[in-house]
Amino acid sequence: MTPTRTIVPPTSVVKTMSPGTHDGGGANPLLVVWRAFATIWSVPKARIGLALLGFFVILAVFAPLLAPYAATDNTFGRSEDMSPAHWLGTTAAGQDVLSQIIYGARVSVFVGFVAGLLSTIIAVLIGLSWGYLRGPAGEVINFIVNLFLVIPALPLMIVIAAYLQNGGIGMIVLVVVITGWAWGARVLRSQTQSLRSRDFVTAAIFSGESPSRIVFREILPNMTSLIVGSFFGASTAAILAEAGLEFLGLGDSTTVSWGTMLFWAQNSNALLTGQWVLLFAPGLCISLLATSMSLINFGVDGLSNPRLREGAKR
Amino acid sequence: MSLVSVQGMSVVYEPKGALPVPAVRNVSFDLEQGDFVGLVGESGSGKSTLGFALTGLSKPPARVSAGSIFFDGVDIAGMTPSQLRVQRHGGFAMVLQSGMNALNPVRSIRDHFFDIFAAHGHVSKRDREARAVELVGKVELPASVLDRFSGELSGGMRQRVSIALALSLEPRLMVFDEPTTALDVLVQHAVMDTIRELQRSEKFTAVLISHDLGMVLEVTERVMVMHDGLIVEDALAAEILAAPQHPYTRMLLSHYGDPRAAVVEVPGLAARGGRRAAVVEPVETPSVVEPVETPAVVEPVETPAVVEPVETPVETPVETHPPAVRKREGRAAREAIVVTNVSKIYQRPSRGEQPVCAVNNVSFTLEPGASMALVGASGSGKSTIAKLITGVERPTSGSITFGDLQIDTIKRRQLKRLHTEVQMVFQDPYAALNPLHTVEYILTRPILNFSKLRGRAARHRMLELLETVGLTPVEQFAARLPHQLSGGQRQRVVIARALASDPQVIIADEPVSMLDVSLRAGVLALLDSLRETWGVSMLYITHDLLSARLVTDQIMVLNSGAVVEEGATADVLQNPQDEYTIRLLEAIPHPTVGGLVDS
Repeated sequence: MTPTRTIVPPTSVVKTMSPGTHDGGGANPLLVVWRAFATIWSVPKARIGLALLGFFVILAVFAPLLAPYAATDNTFGRSEDMSPAHWLGTTAAGQDVLSQIIYGARVSVFVGFVAGLLSTIIAVLIGLSWGYLRGPAGEVINFIVNLFLVIPALPLMIVIAAYLQNGGIGMIVLVVVITGWAWGARVLRSQTQSLRSRDFVTAAIFSGESPSRIVFREILPNMTSLIVGSFFGASTAAILAEAGLEFLGLGDSTTVSWGTMLFWAQNSNALLTGQWVLLFAPGLCISLLATSMSLINFGVDGLSNPRLREGAKR
Repeated sequence: MSLVSVQGMSVVYEPKGALPVPAVRNVSFDLEQGDFVGLVGESGSGKSTLGFALTGLSKPPARVSAGSIFFDGVDIAGMTPSQLRVQRHGGFAMVLQSGMNALNPVRSIRDHFFDIFAAHGHVSKRDREARAVELVGKVELPASVLDRFSGELSGGMRQRVSIALALSLEPRLMVFDEPTTALDVLVQHAVMDTIRELQRSEKFTAVLISHDLGMVLEVTERVMVMHDGLIVEDALAAEILAAPQHPYTRMLLSHYGDPRAAVVEVPGLAARGGRRAAVVEPVETPSVVEPVETPAVVEPVETPAVVEPVETPVETPVETHPPAVRKREGRAAREAIVVTNVSKIYQRPSRGEQPVCAVNNVSFTLEPGASMALVGASGSGKSTIAKLITGVERPTSGSITFGDLQIDTIKRRQLKRLHTEVQMVFQDPYAALNPLHTVEYILTRPILNFSKLRGRAARHRMLELLETVGLTPVEQFAARLPHQLSGGQRQRVVIARALASDPQVIIADEPVSMLDVSLRAGVLALLDSLRETWGVSMLYITHDLLSARLVTDQIMVLNSGAVVEEGATADVLQNPQDEYTIRLLEAIPHPTVGGLVDS
């Protein structure tokens, strides 16, 4: 595979570069993303994951077109069984379950993406500078990260969510990010520490590079696979945490999401009334979405740079 | 009947999603019981692949694609893994280059032996202890190592343990794959002696795989020279030495020399007879007339990837220097690095161990334009001195100055100023370049950081640098990524980067030790001619006395942190006074004494 090269020389140089002389890696970011996609796609497990994830993303994006009814339309009969008009029946409040599932995908996909991205960014920023710095600053960060690692996440989430009452999706994203970045930061730090002692980092110091440039231009691109893996891990955790918080009634219970569906189904004793679909359908969707992320992570291993291994002694 | 008979064997690498690459092509040879055969070649010649195939250790994507390997009359090429496993007892064993890292760090050495005994059941439980003691005795280790863990042993001891482990199955064929390459020079010599004696006393057939023709010729009786997957020469060591047939063998041999001889030359590097260092005098520049890369290595049809295709002569008369390059000579003030009574003591962080004195009261002056060698075995403190001079570490006591810069107490902000004047060439060209950046990026960064050149001018300078180190066509090389370059080309990029800031001093830390013999001369000649034409001073750190003799005028020999001998390189090496220098000189393998240099 040719490299996933995301770094281009400073703009002043780019201007003078004559096109067509490149036989190496293309600097086009679209091309880079496409290559990364092709690498993940080549792993069968990850292919299933990508297909699943693609399905849910399409569901979320085109929800208004795909859903037979509006998600909050409660003009139907209450607690109806499955029928041609309502494939998955209706809720105790008289809403169409299938439409709710389709619209609910929006919240899960959004939270998964945004919370995963934010906590990965925090993890990258803290993990890399923590790994590169030596001395007292590192000790301070160490203390903070350890604090976040040992605090049990679920009670903390419940406390924060209860404190920021009914803040909606934004609040849930915040809670998930606060509790979710520490593990990624620790993983990225250890990799940074091992890369820091490489000769090419010392060489960059000799080239007069500033520490921040060394961290983000020399070290970071060599950790792409770890960062992408950490993103999917954080997304999975975010999706599960979001559903869990909503199920506990700690989110805004008027939004339509898989978590609130479970919350209302539980409230209306759906199992006792024989409407197992009310619990089963959102539950299955949550686990499938989480599974798709985990499956994709199998393929991310392949992203790890083959040329890093060339660095090893012959 | 021969013990091993290889007939028409080929090995291909079949990586997923790429074209298959032939590594060994149609090789045939016989090994008799008790032979000691050397297998020599440069990296990528297929010698290790052949060794793995011989011992049935070929792993995917490598595959024996044709031919047969008869071991004691049985074809092992077609054997299943479980059949092979049985064969290993009393059959064949292999000692790897990184064999010292093959020991499990959480199990004692005794456990390693007992595991093998248990797996093959050829030693009864009662006799195991005695047998293990006997085996470590054979490799000249005391019985007490059995209680130790691999982390507590030195590299040489670990390599001896792995040899003893290989011996424990009483093999009739032992394959040693670069058994001493990762070891220190002096240890290398001792381990090699052990292997030689073992082979004589145990009478097993041994194949010694190495890139070092000199060592192989010294140790073995018969030598096979491999090049590009083919065995190009297979003859007795004495015959190869006296009359090498193949041009490739002749090329390899030509790169050996005795650093103690009166005149030392290798192709591309003229002798330093009467050459002085101090001043830049273009007239005296020994123009390297022949192409540096030994030409006509093989028949043109088979130009392999290893031999660099784009090696142009590093002939750089001053006139052809582009204006920007010549600017260096216009600078008036030229400073020396003055090291005075410097010591560096490392405190061991744990267990209250004794602090280690890495550098002990060293003083020297690197005059402007001089080239000085710093030699010593590993652990002698030579790399620590490089770190102290470049401001990476600070001395415990003493002072280092460069012009008005006080390096021993340098502030972080001044470090950049130091690095415009003092640059470093790294040992391992495979690790010193970020695999994700193009050559252009790698070279442009220091230009932007250290000079006021921007945009088109910076790019122009970058291309000039590439031209200076002989990587042409420059546009093509600028766009390459490190993995698209060979080792020698990478090292040239590393040198170009060191030159980018237009430094006064270059510190070269073992710049050629990771390169193939045929590429070494080219890189050394480049360093040498750059130093002369640019007037850069060079501190050349190495354990290789031959290369020190070739490119330096002064030498300092370090032993456990202290300077034991110093003076003009030629004088010190021809007439060593200190016992340590003599030991270092003796550790160099020489196929013959003196004879090679003239041929």
